[in-house]
Amino acid sequence: MVSPEAKKLAEERAARMQAALDLKEPDRVPFTGLGGDVIPAYAGITSYEYEFDFEKNRQAAVKWFTDFPSDSAPRVGLGGLDNQSMGVAFQDYPEIVSGVNSVNGPMNDVLKMKFVRFPGRELDENSARQFIGGKNMEPEEYDQLIADPVKFCFEVIMPRISGGLKDLGSPASLATMARFGLEKARQDAEMAKTMQALMELGYYFAPRGVCLAPLDLISDQLRDIPNLILDLRRYPDKVKAAAEALVEPMVKMGTMSIKAGAKECFIPLHLNEYLSPKQYNEFYWPTLKEVILKLVEAGMKVQVFFEGWHDAHLETILELPAGWGTAYFEKTDVRKAKKLLQGHTCIMGGIDVSDIISLTPAQLDENIKKLFDEMAPGGGFIFSPNIGTCPRETPIENVRAVYEAVEKYGKY
Amino acid sequence: MLMQKELLKSFVDMDEAEAVRIARELVETEGGAVAVLDTCKEAMEEVGRLFEAGEYFLSELIAAGDMFNQIMEFTLPKLQGGEVASIGTMVLGTVLGDVHNIGKDIFKVMAEASGINVIDIGIDVPHEKFVEAIKEHKPEIVGMSCLITLGVDSMKRTIEVIEEAGLRDDIKIIIGGGRVSQAVMEHVGADAWADDAARGVRLSKELLG
Repeated sequence: MVSPEAKKLAEERAARMQAALDLKEPDRVPFTGLGGDVIPAYAGITSYEYEFDFEKNRQAAVKWFTDFPSDSAPRVGLGGLDNQSMGVAFQDYPEIVSGVNSVNGPMNDVLKMKFVRFPGRELDENSARQFIGGKNMEPEEYDQLIADPVKFCFEVIMPRISGGLKDLGSPASLATMARFGLEKARQDAEMAKTMQALMELGYYFAPRGVCLAPLDLISDQLRDIPNLILDLRRYPDKVKAAAEALVEPMVKMGTMSIKAGAKECFIPLHLNEYLSPKQYNEFYWPTLKEVILKLVEAGMKVQVFFEGWHDAHLETILELPAGWGTAYFEKTDVRKAKKLLQGHTCIMGGIDVSDIISLTPAQLDENIKKLFDEMAPGGGFIFSPNIGTCPRETPIENVRAVYEAVEKYGKY
Repeated sequence: MLMQKELLKSFVDMDEAEAVRIARELVETEGGAVAVLDTCKEAMEEVGRLFEAGEYFLSELIAAGDMFNQIMEFTLPKLQGGEVASIGTMVLGTVLGDVHNIGKDIFKVMAEASGINVIDIGIDVPHEKFVEAIKEHKPEIVGMSCLITLGVDSMKRTIEVIEEAGLRDDIKIIIGGGRVSQAVMEHVGADAWADDAARGVRLSKELLG
């Protein structure tokens, strides 16, 4: 049972996040909280247990989110690795997409993706899961991708990346999909239990869409980054046409959870910091911008994670309509971003996970005080670590220092 | 000299086809292999400078590294022993738990182009493998790379293991990659840090004195 107190707490937290999204000043600076492999370490379980055992995962999450309260919808459940090309392959079947788009440990036992490795399987039981990536498409195949991206992802790419589906139509592949369905139903039921446990603690959940920048789908999932970088010079027209062909599939991926109540879509960028402004504006931004605009038109807010240094491309964000969503920065200085984007874009980020690992509690306290002094006024700011994963070895006294500083200095 | 100038220009301007064409022609001339090597090293240095000046980006570093490797493939076999001078040796790897190779590979080719003899021991490298490589190759520098947060403590542990093996005083350690900073350098006990390849090569050369 969710108590009235827990319900009220959840509403306060959701309202705090929403006010920042609406570019207003909430009652306090909203904080996404810290997460990652430090959660199982804090609970005294292995990363393998946390990534494969729902019961232990749930207990660890409850302990963490009880001791370290935060404002955003908590990221709980088994962690997964990006598998969007397979999501595209099944884009007309949303119930499948939500299971293949990001592959977690037990699901990978079924699908046997070749570019991921998990603790307790291929890795030490306390290692972090790994996205190995790799080249799954040759340059000669751009024309096929351009002609029909969904068919290409299904017929050509999927058999190359999934051991369970390498021979489409075979008994083994049919058995894989049947097992996938059973595992998906089991995981959905387990997730419902985890969400219930967290709601009892005063948290809320909001479904959200996920998609990629079209060029990132090609570089992360199909060609790999160094090859794609060379393709930009060797086959510029093909790359451009392929990115354009992927706009519709990406919009479809992003909007498919609207029916389930999603109001936000998340787009993690990858290639942005690799590109010169000329390349960014020619190959990357036009199709990303089109995807964002279409998501906004569909009534969604968008949260874009600008990985790495986005400084050289910062001004392009102003080409989006004011209130479009949230710019989540990794290395780009949020203060600099605020100067440019205040009143236009909600800014998220502010603390480097490397600092949380390596500074002292006093230093963290001071840094957060200074950050809030500059970032809080005017609102439209969500405090967050610059990346999602704090490693197992993150000192807990430093974690406490971060949460205490938010409590001390976060009040408007 | 004219061909060298043209090679330098097309290389720095990222004209891959032209740079490879000129290099292929030049390498067949008297003393051509040395000229190609020297010119490509100069070009890589200029690309690194443009990167540090904010005019070039990772994309250019990757493309330049690829060009350098392509040209070296047909140039190095034509060089005599002694014509490839080395300013020092570095053992380089991405630390245990981390499989990211792009940054390490960009750094590697730029370091090689600057005259450092790089022993690449790969990704997800166990601590002991660093120790073995140090014993075997006796490098002046060890370079450790990491992109994910787990890598920070993995670097710390690797350096501890190197210390336990009694090898720490013989080497300088530079850490690189997306997660490193001054604070991380102090935390793990390294001698230098760089979050981009061009800076990393510059600092490595400084460490070599």
